[in-house]
Amino acid sequence: MAESDRIAAQAEAEVAPARVAAGARVARAATPALFLLPAGVLIALFFLVPVATTLYLSLTDISTLTFRQPRWVGLANYRDLLTDPFLPRILLNTVRYVVLTLLFNVGMGLTLAVLTTAVRPGIGNQARALWLLPRILPPVVYVLVWQGISREAPYGLLGILTGSSRGWITSHPWATVVLANGLVGASFGMLIFTSAIRSISPELFYAAAVDGATTWQTVRRVVLPLLRWPILFVTAYQTLSLLTSFEYILLLTDGGPGFYTTTVWSLHAYKLALSNYYGNVQFGLGAAMAAVLVVVGVVVSVVYLRVFNFRQLVGEPRIEVS
Amino acid sequence: MRGIAAAGLVLALLVLAPAYAQQAVTLTAWTIGPDNPSVTRFSNLQAAAERLNADLRREGAGVQVKVEGFFDTTDWDPFLRRVLLAFQGGNPPDIIQASHPLTTTWAAAGYIIALDDQIPRYRQFADVVESLWDAVRYRGKIYGIPQDTEARPLYFNKTLLRQLGWTDQQIAALPQRIVRGEFTWEDVLATAREAVQKKVVESGKGYYHRPRPGPDFLQWYRSFGGRDFDAASGKLVFTREAALRYFRWLRAAVDAGVLERNRLDGDWNRFHQTVTDGKVLFFSGGTWNWAEWEQQWVTRKGGQEWLFANFGFAPHPTWRQGGRPITLSQPQAYMVSSASKNKALAVRLLAYTTVPDLDAKHAVGSAHLPVLKTTARLIGDRFLKEVSYLLTYTSFQPPHPDLPRWNDALFRGVSAVESGQVTPEQAVEVVATEMQRALRDQIIVE
Repeated sequence: MAESDRIAAQAEAEVAPARVAAGARVARAATPALFLLPAGVLIALFFLVPVATTLYLSLTDISTLTFRQPRWVGLANYRDLLTDPFLPRILLNTVRYVVLTLLFNVGMGLTLAVLTTAVRPGIGNQARALWLLPRILPPVVYVLVWQGISREAPYGLLGILTGSSRGWITSHPWATVVLANGLVGASFGMLIFTSAIRSISPELFYAAAVDGATTWQTVRRVVLPLLRWPILFVTAYQTLSLLTSFEYILLLTDGGPGFYTTTVWSLHAYKLALSNYYGNVQFGLGAAMAAVLVVVGVVVSVVYLRVFNFRQLVGEPRIEVS
Repeated sequence: MRGIAAAGLVLALLVLAPAYAQQAVTLTAWTIGPDNPSVTRFSNLQAAAERLNADLRREGAGVQVKVEGFFDTTDWDPFLRRVLLAFQGGNPPDIIQASHPLTTTWAAAGYIIALDDQIPRYRQFADVVESLWDAVRYRGKIYGIPQDTEARPLYFNKTLLRQLGWTDQQIAALPQRIVRGEFTWEDVLATAREAVQKKVVESGKGYYHRPRPGPDFLQWYRSFGGRDFDAASGKLVFTREAALRYFRWLRAAVDAGVLERNRLDGDWNRFHQTVTDGKVLFFSGGTWNWAEWEQQWVTRKGGQEWLFANFGFAPHPTWRQGGRPITLSQPQAYMVSSASKNKALAVRLLAYTTVPDLDAKHAVGSAHLPVLKTTARLIGDRFLKEVSYLLTYTSFQPPHPDLPRWNDALFRGVSAVESGQVTPEQAVEVVATEMQRALRDQIIVE
């Protein structure tokens, strides 16, 4: 009896420190886990679950007709996508839309931020407020304004001014889509870049001035290098949102005029999966298109992080300025 | 005295009790124009509910009906999406109104019920024009109650024809020449080309068709001799030869400056504005457009009078001399959802809606054609009287649940040719390949 007690006590004594150490490790891990929990739950709910659902749906033939008994079709939807003869056109449109709009958005946002911070604050603030107007308009109203401007004479403002007998949207659909999107999108970059420029230490500007730098040299050598992080953020964010956004295209051109002229991937998926004049929509096929978009989005994000050297951007600063 | 008061109270309670005992049943109905004047598709249900309630009270049924829901004026696309999501969510309205091809799609999906055993119970339904039941029949069963019908004429601008040198007699004779197959699509093209060349109309405004997808493209394909359904096998059909004729016509019209290369711009307002400003020579539309133009576009110019003075209408021409012209009707139908808890009451409400006065009110107010034989006989509206002969040449869309994919594929071909991105020959191949890909064993390409 005594022997067994002794052994038990010894075993306990050996285990206890390990238990304490394990407890400490759990306690150490619990705090960050607790802090990560809200974001983790949100990511699971609004990213992981939808992605899993989309992937699952993309492997079935679910449509209006088969909604009650969808069949498992494996990769048939993806095969369908690959054999669609219109796929290259739609892909090309998507790249065109994202690249052109992105260039306009980021370039215009940067230009506006630099210009409005270079002038007197009163004027700069008013100019920025003006550029925010399209963003606070509901998209439908915004597009109605565009339609009003761009119809042919005598119905549209541009038509009256130029005497054109063709509507601007139908004759220049791409320019319209990029401009309409860009005018709204530029304000986002403008705000981020403005606040970033404002946060640049004034000493750097004084130093540049003392060195005799011109305005352009100050922008090129001081402002732009310090805006790398916001530029990465705006570019990455806008790319991802442009890949999935199609509301202005839908309202302006509905993917036309004519034959898939301005149809982008997300609009095509939307039409297949949720919107069809004749009422029979293909959820499965639409989900397969959405799944492809998720993969493209992830790949693009990784590429951006590499190109902008994200690890270095978020690393510890090497020089402490006080 | 107190005894009399108590007796009075008891009496009052006895009289009022049945009224309070009435069970209120709410029937939800979702309806759509999208043209504004078709609001009677919803308000007629409410009017019918009042009459039904009076009868229910008389019968002492203990039930009163209340119609809730909406009339949609946006577009088919968001409306159908909303209905579909409601079906799938398990909480759809009791009654849905939509175009007749939807009876096939939704019946095949199990969202709506067959009405064959209910229809004989109500004499009102016996007055419905027989052929309209065919439009709502799928695999031998009836899935909808016809609500209205229409025709899709070829309109022409009389004033512009006059400017082109046509006499009043020639203009008046045009519909009959189309009916006899003497004025074909080639003549439409030649006349419009002349109008463009003589600057009677601007380039691209010799002929207009709708700016978005719709059943009208199937109508044009048919008018060029195309087949779309094989009744024996129940499969959809695509006729290459007819499609090629149709696409070549479209191409020629664009090349001649008769038709805008970007006619499919999705902008209905631009269509109506240009047409009612008297700038377009020929234009395809629906009878319901007449009411839209009258009430929304030419009201200040004189409404119907202006329309009769300026616009004429005829069936869609044939493609060859001596052929038969056609038109397409897309009847609207009320359907009862299989999830409804009050199916019998819903059908009874529809019977009360299918009566001559409400039918006439909708037909006159929205320029659709009535569904009841009595209404058609008694109606005095000039436009409806003059246009209803088009029904002699009418047909419906085929009852196949995959029709949407067929229509989508044809529309791809039309938009590809018209925008100049492929030749008519290539477009026929595009459509045939797409139909075979999307419809697999459900399509016969001939």
